[in-house]
Amino acid sequence: MPDHKTGTREEWQAARAELAKLEAEQGQRNDEIKKRRLELPWVPVEKEYEFDTEDGKKTLVELFDGRSQLLAYNIMFGPDYENGACPGCTNLGDGLDGSLVHLNHRDVTLICFSRAPIERLTAYKKRMGWQFPYVSTYNTDFAFDFGLALTEEEAQQVPEIKETLDNPSEWIQEWADQVGAELKDGLREAPSWIAFARENGTVYHTYTVMAPDPFVAPYFSFLLERTPKKPPEEPRAWRKDEYPD
Amino acid sequence: MTDHKIVGREEWTAAREELLAREKEHTRLGDELARQRRGLPWVRVDKEYRFETDDGPRTLAELFEGRSQLLVYHFMFGPSYSAGCPTCSSMADGIDGAIPHVTARDATFVFVSQAPLENLQAYKRRMGWSIPWVSAAGGDFNFDLGFSRSEQETREAFAPMLEAGAPPVVDHNARSSGTDVTGYLTQGPGLSVFALEDGAVYQTYSTTGRGVEFLMGYYGILDRAPKGRDEGDASQVWIRRHDEY
Repeated sequence: MPDHKTGTREEWQAARAELAKLEAEQGQRNDEIKKRRLELPWVPVEKEYEFDTEDGKKTLVELFDGRSQLLAYNIMFGPDYENGACPGCTNLGDGLDGSLVHLNHRDVTLICFSRAPIERLTAYKKRMGWQFPYVSTYNTDFAFDFGLALTEEEAQQVPEIKETLDNPSEWIQEWADQVGAELKDGLREAPSWIAFARENGTVYHTYTVMAPDPFVAPYFSFLLERTPKKPPEEPRAWRKDEYPD
Repeated sequence: MTDHKIVGREEWTAAREELLAREKEHTRLGDELARQRRGLPWVRVDKEYRFETDDGPRTLAELFEGRSQLLVYHFMFGPSYSAGCPTCSSMADGIDGAIPHVTARDATFVFVSQAPLENLQAYKRRMGWSIPWVSAAGGDFNFDLGFSRSEQETREAFAPMLEAGAPPVVDHNARSSGTDVTGYLTQGPGLSVFALEDGAVYQTYSTTGRGVEFLMGYYGILDRAPKGRDEGDASQVWIRRHDEY
């Protein structure tokens, strides 16, 4: 017999129906949040940025690729990372290609940003077999202006970062080894989604969401939320080609 | 100019923080919901179900492939369909990238459909997916779990909808799957989750309708885009198979 409580089909159905009420309430709450998200004001982006892409230099407006909305996930892959991007962010990246064609047909261009130089992003993209455009913010103010990266001075002011550096857990030290950077540099990249709109030639910043928001998590985490076993508390992650057997 | 409200950075940050408080509340309640999902009683599955798979006939316990958790997505592909449901197909695009990660966490993911195995295999080749896909043709599995019904039961269950005319997405998906509305609705979408302990299979969770929206990765991303889903009352009608846009 399992340690878990078992029941008859009828008992399960009654408990499931109770839970369905909570799920419906959570759905309504999400609808309300979505409505408010659409009501957020927009901020015009007046500064000019130039990014390195696989197709050469591009401005922010050019990254829209003719569409009116730009959604980007900022993968933690700083210039100091010797071994590659953050494995958790890489897992999130693995979930994006399936949505690419569908979003492109909803007037949304989906890309990823990182701060490492473009050659390293392109090599990593090839290794992971990704299709989405991967754009480098190397040598621009963009990541710093939009809170996607912290300067060394800024990082020292963040209590959570200071606490992690003073008392690093085992898994975060392993993470630093996985990316090949010192923790003090590794933690300067912010895993975030950022959204922009383009209207009449002007680009507007509309939304940013950062970890630990659950949307800043790999797609498969939503599946694991529904499995009987509880996933481990520590967000230890492996790249898909590096799982220990 | 744009019709949208335009502000400076400070005003945006204030509005964003107000929204963030709601997003955090939503996250907290989501964690509680995941906890309650795992608190559902388990129901022992005593009936012997058999499936046709790429590797020959398998029982439900054998579908676990040696892992202790099984996630089954009921993919709408009935005996009268000539192709899989376009909406389920758009979910599959995202699930494909999740497979190695779910597998690494002691969970096996499979699609189950009522159409004969050779139809599933041909369609899977067309779509380029790697997700294991098994046929429940000739068995009671999908019927017992409520994801398949006879044409007669379908006509009774959906009588008001069939009289009033099916919503655009149902009408489109039925035609696009080479069947009529009744034939299309003999199948329902859903996720069933099972645990295997000491050789016995237990059902732990099941969801359908809006409960499977989390598998539509593009919706989560659109919900953070400046225009949101932007589909009015006609939800999902824009969705096509990735090779049919």
